[in-house]
Amino acid sequence: MTTNTVVNVHNLEKTYGKANERQYKALKGLDFTVAAGEFVGIMGASGSGKTTLLNMLSTLDVPTKGDVVVNGHDVTKMRGNQLADFRAQEVGFIFQDFNLLESLTAEENIGLPLALKGTSSRVMDQAIHEVAETLSIADLLQKYPSELSGGQKQRVAAARAIVHHPSILMGDEPTGALDSTSARELLDLLTTINQKQHMSVLLVTHDPFSASFCQRILFIKDGQIGSEIKRGEQDRSAFYQQILNELGTFNE
Amino acid sequence: MLGKLALAGIKNRRRDYLVLLAGLTMSAAIFYMFANLATNRAFLKTNAVVSQASLIFGFGAILLILITIVYIMYANSFLLSMRQHDYGLFMMLGATRKRIGELVFLETLILGAIATAIGIVLGLLLSQFLVGFLLDMLGLHLAHLSAFYLPAIIATAVLYVGLFILASLFNMVRLTRTTVLKLLHTDEQANQPRVHLFRQMVAAVLGVAFLGIGYWALAAIKTLQMAAIPLALVTITIGTYLLFRATLLVIIQGLRHTKWAKRHLNGFLLGQLNFRVYNYTRMLTIVSLLFAMALGAITVGSGYHRQLPLMANSIGTYTVAIHDKNAQEQKLIDQLNVKHQATYTQKRQGKVVYYNAAELQQQPFELSKSGQLTKSLKHPKFYTESLAKFKKSGVQDFDFQSLAVRKDMGFYTPKILNAKQFAKQPGTTMTVTTVRVKDLVQDQKVLKRLNRMEVKRFALPEQITVGNYQSYEMMSGIFGGLEFMGYFLGIAFLAMLASCLMFKILSGAPGDKQRYRMLYKVGVRQSLMRRGIAKEIGILFLIPGIMGVIDVLFGLQMFKPIMASPMSPYLGIGSIFAIFIGLYAIYYAITLTLYWRIVLPKAPTN
Repeated sequence: MTTNTVVNVHNLEKTYGKANERQYKALKGLDFTVAAGEFVGIMGASGSGKTTLLNMLSTLDVPTKGDVVVNGHDVTKMRGNQLADFRAQEVGFIFQDFNLLESLTAEENIGLPLALKGTSSRVMDQAIHEVAETLSIADLLQKYPSELSGGQKQRVAAARAIVHHPSILMGDEPTGALDSTSARELLDLLTTINQKQHMSVLLVTHDPFSASFCQRILFIKDGQIGSEIKRGEQDRSAFYQQILNELGTFNE
Repeated sequence: MLGKLALAGIKNRRRDYLVLLAGLTMSAAIFYMFANLATNRAFLKTNAVVSQASLIFGFGAILLILITIVYIMYANSFLLSMRQHDYGLFMMLGATRKRIGELVFLETLILGAIATAIGIVLGLLLSQFLVGFLLDMLGLHLAHLSAFYLPAIIATAVLYVGLFILASLFNMVRLTRTTVLKLLHTDEQANQPRVHLFRQMVAAVLGVAFLGIGYWALAAIKTLQMAAIPLALVTITIGTYLLFRATLLVIIQGLRHTKWAKRHLNGFLLGQLNFRVYNYTRMLTIVSLLFAMALGAITVGSGYHRQLPLMANSIGTYTVAIHDKNAQEQKLIDQLNVKHQATYTQKRQGKVVYYNAAELQQQPFELSKSGQLTKSLKHPKFYTESLAKFKKSGVQDFDFQSLAVRKDMGFYTPKILNAKQFAKQPGTTMTVTTVRVKDLVQDQKVLKRLNRMEVKRFALPEQITVGNYQSYEMMSGIFGGLEFMGYFLGIAFLAMLASCLMFKILSGAPGDKQRYRMLYKVGVRQSLMRRGIAKEIGILFLIPGIMGVIDVLFGLQMFKPIMASPMSPYLGIGSIFAIFIGLYAIYYAITLTLYWRIVLPKAPTN
């Protein structure tokens, strides 16, 4: 494992159901890596194992077999508080349904990961305002989630995901609940974050348009990596076309 | 088919249902026990020495009914919050509203009927044991108290089933009027209350004013008579509500802007409390009142319990006086922790009782300092006088006169003769032994036997007591009913108040479950979440607790007229408060454990 690898997945397997019950193999031995600063997409149809994979990477679920190393931490060997701390410090999350706490203002939502670390309030204020500037949500900070539109909510969620500078940002269909304009804005923002802050981004999606913002795409089918394409030097619309083609043949 | 599905839904949440059923059952049991006491005429007639006792029982019954209504309301909303998602699902699958309405109605009614039936049986058993235990512990004897009393059973059944029919109708209407989507997505939108400074100020001032009127009404119960209680109930309720509404939000929102709010989960805690306190204002008000009534009732009850012996101790100078003690009585006396003992020879002739001066010289008769009764209550001061002085004034002493009681009421006139004259004096000769013990309560059992023997041998006219022990027995008879009521209502109020709070908090759990799931994903440690929940629920328990204690401190004024001078409703309330708060804390712990179990996300396992 080289030092500039952020995620290293080796022979990952996940089986649901107990040994004496009917079992279902969701992941059947996955191998892949994500380099530091890379923007990787994971695509696949419903039921292909995308979300299961993301849950393994983010320690929300435990693999049956195999290793997951994130930024040098072997997550399969962690327990209890270690897992919670790992999620709080190493990973930033963006979910399809935002997962904002509706009892807190946007500012308090964004500050949560820092508060968990015990950051001083001066540093926290500074970090919140910096990230709010980047995502142009500075004027929304005092509002509650119920007062925000879907796109605004997702930008607040993105701000919360990166405010503590995690080693990797994971998105689970982050544009799934957004209209096309908001979706595009969010994807542009993710690209900016990826390039300006050199933060690795792992995007799980089944939407080809979202995927076209990535540098590399892994296609999962029935719990295994079916194929992989790279954007290389081509522009986004060309890459989009390539994805569509790949999907066309991949699902046959 | 739908019925089967509904049953399956209940099976899946049997633990929650068990909590609900247990709470309702307890409530019905408590109501039965109280109804048993309050409606049992034979019992009331023999024990209501104080003319107001039946009034107090009636008042207690009305309070208990009101509280039962509130209680069932909260239990019902808990039930509804558990079920609405399921019913929404059934509707989405195509069940008609009418069918759903029937199901809801039946489910609520069946649950209520089961709770009532078990509750009455439990009430019967509890009446048998708990009431007996309580009376035994208090050393009271209440005649005509039987566990089984048909009118009480009917009253309980009618009230509970009636209330449950109302609750079922309410649920039916509520569920059939709500849209399917709302039922499916019941995770309520947290409404964020805004602070209007001016309105808030007005509410605070009004709240304090209302509380002031209420507290004044309780203190002025002598002039306001029975009007004081309803007046105080209304004004204190409104005052508490306004005060909570005005201050809690301001405090919480003020705290949100501090540095403290930016550490760990504190901000989340304040955010939770912010909308919760607003929604809970009414319930917190009711709970604070219940808390006050429970604590007040127990304080008054225990006040009587602890202060009666004190008062009895300070009444006279000896605990018992035994005439012509026999061997058996001497044995009993030897078992006592005697502080002072004296034996005098009496000669009774006509209306006069003669004493031997030599004996009185040798063992002077003890007198006590009266006058400053309140001060001497805890440590009554005893003293003796020289014989000459005693001959003049001491002979008039009530305690001394009581040593020779005539059958037709009144006393023999005591006369002190010198030894020679005494020897010549004809008349019936007998001895009297006065015993003062260290602690009346400690020797209660022996004293009781001793007193019974004495009374058997020398029947006294009614209304006459000799010695502190007899005074104590008589006072226990008078105030025992009040004492018992105090304890009983106190325990009942406490049980119901805590369950109200518990149900209200638990009915918010499904919404919180999602929030804690989010926190879990973001990487909050389990221990931090646990502590956060403990703080949040703790504050919700604490607010009515504090208000309740303040209410009680003022409310005890009400009992000043019936706990006259040597006694005081405020004497020794510390230990009672401590015990009560201990019980309250146990409820807190139970609620917290249940909440943790419902809300905390489980770590994944393989």
